[in-house]
Amino acid sequence: MFNTIEEYLEALKNEMQGGDSALLQDALADAREHLSTALAVAREKNAELKESDALKIIIDEYGTPEETASAYKEVERRTSPSLKQAVKPQSWIIRFFGVYADARAWGALLYMLIAFITGIFYFTWAVTGISVSLSLVIFIFGLPLALLFLLSVRGLALVEGRLVEALLGIRMPRRPLFSHQGMKWFDRLKALLTDKATWLMLVYMFVQFVLGIVYFVLVVVVLSISLSFIAIPFLQEYVHQSVVEMNGVPYVLPMWIYPLLVLTGVLLWTTFMNIARGIGQLHGRFAKWMLVTE
Amino acid sequence: MVDTSFATKKFQKEMNAGTSSLVLLNVLSRSKEPMYGYQIAKLLEENGPDLPLMKQGTLYPVLRSLEENGLLSSMVEPSVSGPPRRYYTITEEGREAMKEWLEIWKQTKKFVDTILKG
Repeated sequence: MFNTIEEYLEALKNEMQGGDSALLQDALADAREHLSTALAVAREKNAELKESDALKIIIDEYGTPEETASAYKEVERRTSPSLKQAVKPQSWIIRFFGVYADARAWGALLYMLIAFITGIFYFTWAVTGISVSLSLVIFIFGLPLALLFLLSVRGLALVEGRLVEALLGIRMPRRPLFSHQGMKWFDRLKALLTDKATWLMLVYMFVQFVLGIVYFVLVVVVLSISLSFIAIPFLQEYVHQSVVEMNGVPYVLPMWIYPLLVLTGVLLWTTFMNIARGIGQLHGRFAKWMLVTE
Repeated sequence: MVDTSFATKKFQKEMNAGTSSLVLLNVLSRSKEPMYGYQIAKLLEENGPDLPLMKQGTLYPVLRSLEENGLLSSMVEPSVSGPPRRYYTITEEGREAMKEWLEIWKQTKKFVDTILKG
């Protein structure tokens, strides 16, 4: 029925169509690993064995694409991502303040801080990799260097995916994308260069630099403004430090305004937590779109 | 006529859903070295009944979900032939879980046997 492993993978892909793309990528990686190992073992025993004959027996044991697809869907259905929580319709005030109990909001906040560091690293790595590979292409050893760099981009994309899944709760691949086995390194380089996924990953690494800075600045600015509002009463009452100064004249804010200031600080931060959760979800979808090939 | 083969298949699948996790944890707890999917599948085939109860392809998603729950850990290593392989090892939590599952399995087996004997 299937003459090559690729045909089986194609059928499996069709079978899992419409499902989660990250799950599909994992299923394809597992199937590729198993089938090619089994095929290599069968060939060792009998070198004259035709690929299609050997595959028939192997797939008979491994399961048809339908069976494999349903096994993945079944297990995925049973293990839901840890951050997913049951949503009950509630009044807006509970939903608004409930953000403090939502792991996704805290995860998004943490992600926004971490993105600053990873963004700088991705950017530096991409710029260095591209310029070193390109400039050395005139020598022969520039090409293997380019291959190593492009492979590292794939690896980093997987790492970023793990980060996104852990902190933002968006399902991302758990297996590396691998499709060029048995190729000479030069063909492999060509395959990587013509693969849309590689370029999307590279673009993501650049975009992440800008986004990382924006996210970081947002968190730090809003956090410090909120905390300042909350801290004004304490500064005036205990430290005796005036917070408003106009034309060199310090003004002391009246006491009745204290609750309002604290309330403003709390509301500002809570609103931002809600926004951060939204940003996290949006970023997760963006990352999935850029890093996971359909 | 009722299609019993469909119901039988479904029954087998549901049985496997629980037992395969226990079997996989047990295989990995005995192995001194990390194992990859094909190795585990072969081992089960050699020790299993003549008619295999489950397709090898269904082992992989189970391995993955065990890893997701922290009962297994894994690492990818390149292989000489073909794509890189994912090697699985059992974690401390995995060993703990296996002990408990084994107890549940023993209880279930005893219970079912008693009922079936009548």
